[in-house]
Amino acid sequence: MNIVVAMKQIPDLQQIRIRNRQPVFDDVPLTIGDIDKNALEAAVNLKEGTDANIIVLSAGNEDVEDTIKEALAAGADEAFLILDDDLEDAESSQIATILAAGLKKMDDVSLILFGEGSGDNYSGQVGSRVAELMDLPQVGYVSTIEVNGNVAKVTRSLEDVEEVIEVELPAVISVMAGINEPRIPSVTQILKAGKKPKEVLELDDIEIDLGAATIETNSNLAPESDRKKIVVKSVDELVEKLTAENLIGR
Amino acid sequence: MNFSFTKEQELIQRMAKEYAEKNIDPVAQQIDIENQIPAEIIEGLGELDLFGIPFSDEYGGAGSGYATYVLAMEQIAAASSGVGMIISAHTLGLGAIDAFGNEEQKKKYMPKSCKGEHIVSFAFTEPGTGSDPKQITSTARKEGDYYILNGTKRFITNAGYPGPIVFFAKEEESGRVTGFIVEKFCEGYSISEPWEKLGMHGGPLLDVYLKDVKVPAENILGAIGQGYPILQYAISYGKVGVSSAALGGALAAFNEAVKYAKEKTHRDQPIAKFQSTKLNIATIAEKYEAIRWLTYRLGYLADNVKDPVQFAKDAALTKDFVCEQIVDICKLAVSVHGSYGLMKDYKVERLWRDAIMGLQIEGVSDMQKMIVAGVILGM
Repeated sequence: MNIVVAMKQIPDLQQIRIRNRQPVFDDVPLTIGDIDKNALEAAVNLKEGTDANIIVLSAGNEDVEDTIKEALAAGADEAFLILDDDLEDAESSQIATILAAGLKKMDDVSLILFGEGSGDNYSGQVGSRVAELMDLPQVGYVSTIEVNGNVAKVTRSLEDVEEVIEVELPAVISVMAGINEPRIPSVTQILKAGKKPKEVLELDDIEIDLGAATIETNSNLAPESDRKKIVVKSVDELVEKLTAENLIGR
Repeated sequence: MNFSFTKEQELIQRMAKEYAEKNIDPVAQQIDIENQIPAEIIEGLGELDLFGIPFSDEYGGAGSGYATYVLAMEQIAAASSGVGMIISAHTLGLGAIDAFGNEEQKKKYMPKSCKGEHIVSFAFTEPGTGSDPKQITSTARKEGDYYILNGTKRFITNAGYPGPIVFFAKEEESGRVTGFIVEKFCEGYSISEPWEKLGMHGGPLLDVYLKDVKVPAENILGAIGQGYPILQYAISYGKVGVSSAALGGALAAFNEAVKYAKEKTHRDQPIAKFQSTKLNIATIAEKYEAIRWLTYRLGYLADNVKDPVQFAKDAALTKDFVCEQIVDICKLAVSVHGSYGLMKDYKVERLWRDAIMGLQIEGVSDMQKMIVAGVILGM
């Protein structure tokens, strides 16, 4: 049984500098999104005590080949990569098409795990799009996964309610950040990561024409916020002000 | 010239940072107060292979060299210099076994030490001697196939953890200083309470007493009379660890100063807008960058030693400069904090105390300068 974990290469968010209200990516190390690491950890936990094989699937520019060592160190058994410099700025629909094409080249895939959203843009679309392209069931916002035979029992954590769902495999599951605490790989695991099997394809190998992008990003900024600078002198006054702002007592 | 790291080094650096931030930083103040590292931290560091980074995988190490060790140590020591001190002293002692031990000794003592199940000590200093081998009073008397060791050692890091201790004594027949591998807590081994010191709490310094400790002759490290060369070699490599630990303290002080400068407001604006704060931050940055690259270079040199004498000079030069600069860096970081910087509620208070320790440990600053000048001038 193969468990596929889709992971996206992103810039290390802690090291991005902001200049003239624009993010500067030069010299920023590349890494993998935090929730993608949760998805991998979920796969590693499911693998324990089974003969499952974890394949990390990623599409991006040629740097991915180096970046993916992080996933191989953290428990993935092998990597399946689709690399092309044109993929650097690919949008969610294009990436989903490529990942689905990659998945179709794999055998015996039981489970395809995604993080709920990527660490950079957090569009949260790719998992659903891949499920649609593959004609597979998909469950999002998942906080627990148990696999019994060809059925996965998952908890779907919504805002006001938790749903427990059984889904037949193969299926696409998108996990939430709270599902687990990803393990920290050891020095030896990091050093051995580069020696794990890796299949690297180009766009031509999967016969995909990316086509023109349909989404243009005009700006990518955090929302501006102004502090109201309200000074209070007592708890009662604090409660009164917060109530007036509709922040409590709703 | 290439100043970049391999992907693996970058990941190991990030892994050490993540572990330190999640597991050490939250208890760093507690470590400082109690002068004790929680056992689960030692276990965690062992599971991540951080006790054996430079050593060959043939003996249980990670085989990633001293350059990688520097990157990891900086991040660990940024959270707690006491933890950094344990790893540094351990690596010094283990490095001596790695370099001078025979195959049997390496196979016997290195695997558990590389995994952190054993923590190594290195015992040269005595109450009446600093680094002068002629003043050593500990003795090794031959009895058949064994040696009987007696003596007192001072300021020995990790002496309270189980594992091997490299113990130097005068071999009575030859009158020459010789290294022996002794298993801590064997019959006749005892220790003092940890010294109460200014900083680097959690990195325990103890006195060690050997009373008629019987070790097989096969436990001689290297050869009879090779004690001083072992000391010189191991201490040079030990300076890689001490410099890296100090660098970690400098990184922490730098981060704390920047954070405080941006957060602390005066007259409704962050103090980062004031010229005096800017000058302090700029000076910290200059000093940090200088010692960072000097220490990274020492890690590289340790992996590529061509001339041990030149390496000893570079190690002394780096240790001296880094440990002097970190005191300045911490002082400037405290200045950014104003009076708050002297309060135990603020990390820079601890960092400053820790920094001062670096001037004295692993050879005082003047001694480092004498080594540097001796090699340059040839006299």
